[in-house]
Amino acid sequence: MIQIKKNLPTLLLTIAASATIFFSGCKKDKETESEVITKVAVHLTGIGTSFDQEFEAIDSDGDGVFNSIDTIKLPQNATFNCRMHVYDETKNPVLDITDEIEAESADHLFVFKASGLGLVISNLNWDSNGNPFGLESIWATGFMASGPVEISLIHEPTDKTAADPGGDVDFQVIFPVVVE
Amino acid sequence: MLNSKSTLVGFCLLCATVSAAAQHCHLALRGYIRESPNNEVLAYATVFVAEAGRGAITDESGYFSIADLCENTTYTVEVSHVTYAHFTQIIRLTENTTIDFRLVHDALLKEVIILEKAVAPAPTQTQNVVEHAELEAARGLGLTETLKKIPGVTMLSSGGTISKPVIQGLHGNRIAIVSDGVTLQSQQWGNDHAPEIDPYAADVIKVIKGAAGVRYGVGAMAGAVVLEPAPLRDQVGANGWASLSAFSNGYGGAAAALVDWKPKRGPFSWRMQGTLKRGGNLRAPAYWLGNTGAAELNFSTTVGWKKNRWKQTLSVTQFAQSFGILRAAHTGSISDLDSAITSERPRNNLDYFSYSIDRPSQRVQHNTLKYKAEWQITDLWKLTGQYSFQYNQRREYDRARNNTTSANKAQVAFQLWSNTLDVALEHLPVRHFQGGVGVQAMQQLNYVSKGGFIPDFMGWGGSVWAMERWRRYPVPWEFEAGLRFDYRWNHVTTTGNGNNDLNKRLAFGNVSGSAGVIYHVSPAFTLRTNTGYAWRPPNVNELFARGVHHGAGRYEQGNPGLQSEKAWNTNLTLEWETKAINVVASVYRNQVQDFIFLNQPRDSTVLTIRGPFPAYFYEQADAVLQGLDAQISTKIAAGFSVEGRLSIIRGYQLAFVEGRKIHDWLPLLPVDRFQYGLKWTLNRDKTKNKNTGAAGETFIRLMASTALQQTRIPVEGLTKAAPDTFTLYSFEAAHTFHFGARRTGNTNERAHALELGLNIQNLTNVSYREYLDLFRYFADMPGLNIGLRAKYTFGT
Repeated sequence: MIQIKKNLPTLLLTIAASATIFFSGCKKDKETESEVITKVAVHLTGIGTSFDQEFEAIDSDGDGVFNSIDTIKLPQNATFNCRMHVYDETKNPVLDITDEIEAESADHLFVFKASGLGLVISNLNWDSNGNPFGLESIWATGFMASGPVEISLIHEPTDKTAADPGGDVDFQVIFPVVVE
Repeated sequence: MLNSKSTLVGFCLLCATVSAAAQHCHLALRGYIRESPNNEVLAYATVFVAEAGRGAITDESGYFSIADLCENTTYTVEVSHVTYAHFTQIIRLTENTTIDFRLVHDALLKEVIILEKAVAPAPTQTQNVVEHAELEAARGLGLTETLKKIPGVTMLSSGGTISKPVIQGLHGNRIAIVSDGVTLQSQQWGNDHAPEIDPYAADVIKVIKGAAGVRYGVGAMAGAVVLEPAPLRDQVGANGWASLSAFSNGYGGAAAALVDWKPKRGPFSWRMQGTLKRGGNLRAPAYWLGNTGAAELNFSTTVGWKKNRWKQTLSVTQFAQSFGILRAAHTGSISDLDSAITSERPRNNLDYFSYSIDRPSQRVQHNTLKYKAEWQITDLWKLTGQYSFQYNQRREYDRARNNTTSANKAQVAFQLWSNTLDVALEHLPVRHFQGGVGVQAMQQLNYVSKGGFIPDFMGWGGSVWAMERWRRYPVPWEFEAGLRFDYRWNHVTTTGNGNNDLNKRLAFGNVSGSAGVIYHVSPAFTLRTNTGYAWRPPNVNELFARGVHHGAGRYEQGNPGLQSEKAWNTNLTLEWETKAINVVASVYRNQVQDFIFLNQPRDSTVLTIRGPFPAYFYEQADAVLQGLDAQISTKIAAGFSVEGRLSIIRGYQLAFVEGRKIHDWLPLLPVDRFQYGLKWTLNRDKTKNKNTGAAGETFIRLMASTALQQTRIPVEGLTKAAPDTFTLYSFEAAHTFHFGARRTGNTNERAHALELGLNIQNLTNVSYREYLDLFRYFADMPGLNIGLRAKYTFGT
């Protein structure tokens, strides 16, 4: 006990030092994984035509706000195969999330809303449970028109066939569309 | 006396000051003689003041009162009891003082005379101490729940799992939370960030309302919440308690224990304390609140060393919490938000019971290391040095698309390291002046993971302060003045979310001041007034936030041009205490220059990758908050008392609308609130001391609390109409069983006590929503909750 008394300042310093090391030992937090969707691409290939274009909405710095959204320009009275692509460009190399979404098709739903365009989006492909999925779809244009098409990716929707599918929005992009 | 087999040592458990007399040598010393650790009162104990040549004998309830003592005189107080040896304590009075002498048996203790340390005088601001019975009743609930019965204190919550205290309309960085002398340095910039405090570790919790910047530093613009642990053991032996609580709502439980130990040899004294809490989904009257489970694990340990005029303490605390955030409150875009708000029942709700904590959720950790050294230079002068280190970490788990692929990973993590050094030189009355001077140095490092929407920063701060109080009997006036200067320097660096290469260096400096007067009109009637000037620099998020705020469901943008916020706070408090009635009422006005707030210009949105989000911008305007807090209790019949509490606040900002200056109501202001109740005390004789150790009291209390609808809303309007007026009822009952030494008088036998309590909240299972609940858009507040608790106290 006498020794402890004599060495008290040393003892306290040691405790303080070791506690500080213990607490501040955790430096960079490796437990975070923030997937940021920075690019959404709509890949349209004409059915029976040579049309093959990709239209992109880009948030290049990942702050959540778009830097650019392409205008989708389509010929009239034509049909297209549509395939969606989703990327995280903040990762190096760029992460293509599309395959992952496809692998978890039952937990995802692409929702398309077009209005005042005469654009018909149909034949959404099916998920692993035979419910709508929408990674692939068929677009059919009518006469000359322009307007918006809203494309959303919903994850864990509560009911894929309901008007309000519930779930959470992963992305929601409004592309301007011009049919000419 | 020194050789007696069982020496009794007393120490001041809680020294609450009450009103003082206006005549010369007219101070009263009163209090209770109790037996440790049960707080069992001792009747027929003699309390003798040697210098005055007179004393008193405690009555059936252990109460004594000695009048006509002089100010600033050293008195030797001797306490003796027929079955115990007597003990002596030296005290020095500056005000009427209530002291609990707690008697402890110890055959081996050599040193019995302790110079009572400076009893901090009550502040000139309004101060409310959480009643012992209410502190016990709230065991197992969070800090904010413990405080919300105090008039003027409300709760800003995000569902049932997150809540933070609001003092007279202000919260977060505008109040200080001080636990065991350490000001909590955490990330209080989000409304969904609750303070990382374990109320189980506190023996006394008090709220100081008004500008308290001089005493508690930058940010204490509206007041402070002060938590004090019980003092460490001075005498050889061990004691402690263990407590279990169970709650019907959420099928939750809490277990906590504390052990104090002083070994036979050596100047050391030890304490260990721990808390474990777990709960599942809460239930509103009509449905389960999906994903509102919570888990908490806290511990703290303290070692004290005391010899002659030196005292050192080293303590380490850990707070770790994990909790779910109401699933239905998680919205993506505006269309989500609209359908969630208009939905009759919570949208996306998980309407079943579960203990699992899923996304969205938060995990919070806070560690504190404190070392404090005190040197009593002379009987009057004391030098204190304190170093504290704090580490705060919060991880936010969002419902992101890749939930499954990165199962345990958070979307965003914030870490904050703080180092604080305080040195203070304080003195007891010297020529009628009591006070001190001090310096503080602080360093902070904030690190935000990729994806966070605030930048990293490094901060430094320095402060000097001085505070003095004058009191001279028989003058019925007391004066206090304090001055403080703080300087803050921040280097804001980068983040991964697009605010790269900020590299901004910012400096803020300002003076805080406070002046207060106490007028002792009569022994039962006191008036106190305080006017103070306090400030805080704008937070880094207020300056540089840019992006979608996780959990808040909105886009926030900072304003790099913000100025420091300055507040001029004036309050007047009236205290009237007699045997029949007890009134504490205060009026206040807080004039805030450059008040910083988040504003959403009408219907403004920002188009983000997850769709359009409501856009909020940090703005500044001059604002005024004023109001009235009051509490009154009166005895109506033997054993029965009625009590009422009232909180009213009005706050407006000076806004410019179309070039015209108008008074616009501030958003998120507490609603008018009334509480009223009836208390029936079954063992009346043990209830005299309302400030301290009311353990042992057997009582039943029925309370009602009415919150009015908020009608004073900003011209911008609300996203959803303010909730209706509602009234909640609560029922409390408690009883303590005693075993052991007290009954037999055998001092070798250990003493035990078991306190049982019943606490029913929302007795009538009312469906209601709170204006200050950020999740009021989505779901009702929790319904009926029956809480049972048992606390076992042991030791000698």
